[in-house]
Amino acid sequence: MAGATIWKGSIHFGETDVPVKLHSAVREERIQFHLIHKQDRVRLRQQMICALEKQPVPADEQSKGFEVEDGKYIIIDPEELERTAPEGSRMIEVHEFVKSDQLDPVLLDRVYYLEPDLTNVQGNGYNALAKALKEMDVEGICSWTMRKRSYLGALQAWGGMLRLNTLRYADEVVPAASLGLHNVVLSEKEMTIGSELIDKLTAPFEPRKFENEHEKKLRDMIEKKARGENIAILSPKRLQPTDPGQLLQALEASLKKAA
Amino acid sequence: MAVQGIWSGTISFSLVAIPVRLVTAVEPGRVSFHLLHSRDYSRLARRMFCPEEKAMVPPDEIIRGYEIMPDKYVLMTDEELESVSPDRSRTIEIIEFIDLGEVDPIYYDHPYYLISSKGGEKAYQLLVEVMRRTNKAGLAKFVLAEREYLVAVTSRDGALTLITLHYSDEIVPDGDISPKKGTIEAEEEGRIRKSIELMTEDFNPGKYADKRRKKLMDLLATKVKEKAPVVSPAAVEEEGEGPADLVAALEESMRKVKESK
Repeated sequence: MAGATIWKGSIHFGETDVPVKLHSAVREERIQFHLIHKQDRVRLRQQMICALEKQPVPADEQSKGFEVEDGKYIIIDPEELERTAPEGSRMIEVHEFVKSDQLDPVLLDRVYYLEPDLTNVQGNGYNALAKALKEMDVEGICSWTMRKRSYLGALQAWGGMLRLNTLRYADEVVPAASLGLHNVVLSEKEMTIGSELIDKLTAPFEPRKFENEHEKKLRDMIEKKARGENIAILSPKRLQPTDPGQLLQALEASLKKAA
Repeated sequence: MAVQGIWSGTISFSLVAIPVRLVTAVEPGRVSFHLLHSRDYSRLARRMFCPEEKAMVPPDEIIRGYEIMPDKYVLMTDEELESVSPDRSRTIEIIEFIDLGEVDPIYYDHPYYLISSKGGEKAYQLLVEVMRRTNKAGLAKFVLAEREYLVAVTSRDGALTLITLHYSDEIVPDGDISPKKGTIEAEEEGRIRKSIELMTEDFNPGKYADKRRKKLMDLLATKVKEKAPVVSPAAVEEEGEGPADLVAALEESMRKVKESK
């Protein structure tokens, strides 16, 4: 069952207004470890340490600075930042629509379900909007303010339902060009066999097939350790990297194996 | 250029194995502030601190612990953690390939890049090129520290990206909030379609980032006129004071990403 309503707002563009309620679409319940000091078994805390005094600095002695040049900072007060914060609003403003396949997966952050808010509404804008987005294969790039923060998102239809997918800002993404990758020339034969191999290994996306098998094993190991039993240390499987000179042979052998 | 990795191992598909390193693909504040000490303007660094000894703790004194009862921890070494699923802790084995278009974006969690290590450049580029041409992604499971991730490996701007996916049982069922069937007024639908057509553009995500950056820059420009910048004292870099624990630092940065939203 879906959780409580997080926020209420209204999708707006042109003459269209569709009131909606937001719900979380993802619930993570993952095993949680803490970082512990080996010597005294005390749980460690993250602290902001002054580079000069090598001492933790309490929150009220921390300032935000913007580095204008090496070692020189402009200090920004919290009040000044507050002034640039967006004004509270209930509007999810759609700025433009884009084809769904133009959204880079790296930008996609978190999905929220939108429930139609039928409190005081005429017509059935929700269903009409969901239908149009789906049939036109577009998503609405929009922004809104929730809990004093501004969000950028993509309004999307999935099934008959509207959802908001929050987006990362493009300048938060590390450019691939900065990774220092080398360009290597590949032969057309390597490319062709590689493509054939990947086609052979392609299956429909069925996420239900995949379970977190690791978590149960991890819990078993924790219990064992808690009982004082010894843990067998297994060395991780390491694969021998394919020799660049043998790549074509490895691809051909893989293709034979997949056939 | 040496990019520090979070993890290193191999990625494989069928009989091809490529040595790689994992690095993050997003940095929450590329236009960002640094935290400074209000009294002396020196930079603040995030460090692991022992509340008992009131001292910073070097990386080799840190261990992971699972809390079995309040303040009582079962300690697990990295070797023990790697022993839980030894075939997944140093290899990302692509189980199958999928069409990227089939992935419901609800599954996407956090993006990383894989960078080829020495000797792996050719096979790396082959995988990048082939997945780009076919618009495919490789599905794999791998274990990083205490967690097993289901991941989609894709091609982006000549690099391999690795996006962690949510497991299907982490997706909240939407049955009870999905809208009721209802008649859609043709007039209303027509009006909506017309607006969408008029407002459809090619997506340029940079323009939204620029807008945000401009706001910040405007604020800073005003400040510079009002007051000269403060000078931060140069701190002596100490040996072995890098991030306390790469994975912990990473999780912290991800927490920051979530909070900064």
